[in-house]
Amino acid sequence: MRLWRLLFYSVLSIIALVAGYYLFFYGIEFLLDEYLLFTHFTAEKVPHFAHSLRMGAEITIKLTVISSVTGLILGLVSGIARLSKNPFARLPAQFYIWVIRGTPLLVQILFAYNALPFMLEPVWKYLRPLGVPPVQDILTPYWAAFIALSVNVGAYNAEVVRAGIQAIAKGQWEAAMSLGMKPFQVMRHIIVPQAIKIVVPPLVNNVIALLKDSSLASVITLLELVHQGQRIISITFRPIEIYVAVAAVYLILTTVLTIFTDWLERTMNRRGAASA
Amino acid sequence: MKKLIWFGVLVLALASLASAQQFRTFPQIKKSGKILIGTEGAFPPFNFFDDQNHLKGFDIDIGNAIAKQLNLQPEWKAHAWDTMLIALNQGRFDFVIASHTITAERAKAVDFSKPYYCTGNVIVTKPGGPLTPEALKGKVIGAQLGTTFEEFAKQFGPKQLKTYQTNPDAVQDLMMGRIDAWITDQFTAIEAIKTRNLNLKVSGLLNKEEIGMAVAKGNSLLLAAINKALDDIQANGVYAKISDKWFGQDIRCK
Repeated sequence: MRLWRLLFYSVLSIIALVAGYYLFFYGIEFLLDEYLLFTHFTAEKVPHFAHSLRMGAEITIKLTVISSVTGLILGLVSGIARLSKNPFARLPAQFYIWVIRGTPLLVQILFAYNALPFMLEPVWKYLRPLGVPPVQDILTPYWAAFIALSVNVGAYNAEVVRAGIQAIAKGQWEAAMSLGMKPFQVMRHIIVPQAIKIVVPPLVNNVIALLKDSSLASVITLLELVHQGQRIISITFRPIEIYVAVAAVYLILTTVLTIFTDWLERTMNRRGAASA
Repeated sequence: MKKLIWFGVLVLALASLASAQQFRTFPQIKKSGKILIGTEGAFPPFNFFDDQNHLKGFDIDIGNAIAKQLNLQPEWKAHAWDTMLIALNQGRFDFVIASHTITAERAKAVDFSKPYYCTGNVIVTKPGGPLTPEALKGKVIGAQLGTTFEEFAKQFGPKQLKTYQTNPDAVQDLMMGRIDAWITDQFTAIEAIKTRNLNLKVSGLLNKEEIGMAVAKGNSLLLAAINKALDDIQANGVYAKISDKWFGQDIRCK
């Protein structure tokens, strides 16, 4: 009986999410349409411009969501690995965090799009005969940006996770180990549930930052929001109105994201408080 | 009361800034002895940076010749392509010589000089790729953002049009196979293939474009001076020498 209820609510929430997504972007396109007409852009071109900006916004949000989820997993794994006694786990994690936090995101994005295909050539020589598509069909601007963004936010998340875990008093570790728990069990049952309360706000902050960092993908030809804006400006020569519109859409997107993550934070805190 | 007065002063000051003419007029330029010229620097052989990081190219030589004809010291500024005409109207340069095609849309935003050369678009592709307008249908085309090449490419019904910040970015993607064809200027195509020894094919000329220098909208005295200077260098052989140096032929509009 409980399984059916779970299924029902899952399906309901998926439908609600999808419907909400389309309704939200329909609203954005409508607002853009009205704004562009209000600011006296050529009436026949306005629907096309509004639609282009809406498509750009969709790509931005989709890229942000998949990059933050992947970056979260990467951050969790590398943050914990960073604290491991085992050097084979700790040293690669430290190296990864050091390099990624020490180089600009723009360089990482350009690297993923322009350099990675060449670096993967030797490997691809063996994969092509197996029917795998060529490396440049896989490393499209979208997926290259995804790799660069997730790897980047993963490194920053790793440090947040590390700090959160280290914030839990050593006494907890000692008490748990004295009860005979293995390190992994301690992590899973004692440390991580308490650390979540500490790490969720900065992790959420990183997601908001990621939404705006995704704009850098415009230089590798990804048609996200900024690039769409650039195209319109180069046709219409009206930078003020278009940059304002692009900034406003980013503001709407980050605000919606903040509302969602505030809810997430409150839910996590309630759960944390309930279990503590 | 005092706060209100200061606020009023601030508003007036800002308002005056907004309505103030931002470009330098020809008399102002002559008085300063220097002329600010804007270009891109990523469009060989017209404007590019050589390995000593100096601006070189046909546009640079013509720009310097025009400045010399006007008895002014040229000062060059490189700028991103897609917002260059906007920067021109902001007065960041006095005029722009960066191989802009004269189009009706652009002429609404800036004032163009008489065309200083004529050229046309070509399709560049790897051997075996699409070399005719019909073959481009359903293919992935690359062109620089904010160029007539981008506009031109749209009419071929491509599966996808990728826009790049600079032309060299497009060449890179063409060589990597991310785009099937690159639309650009005929001379740029030839130059790219020659300098990097690339195995690419170039189509015939697809259209005729008139290329002009641009001044901020309303800067009529400077425009007249530039047009006269252009006529002079085309008459006295300076233009012919520069054109011959870069292209082995005279590329002025016939």
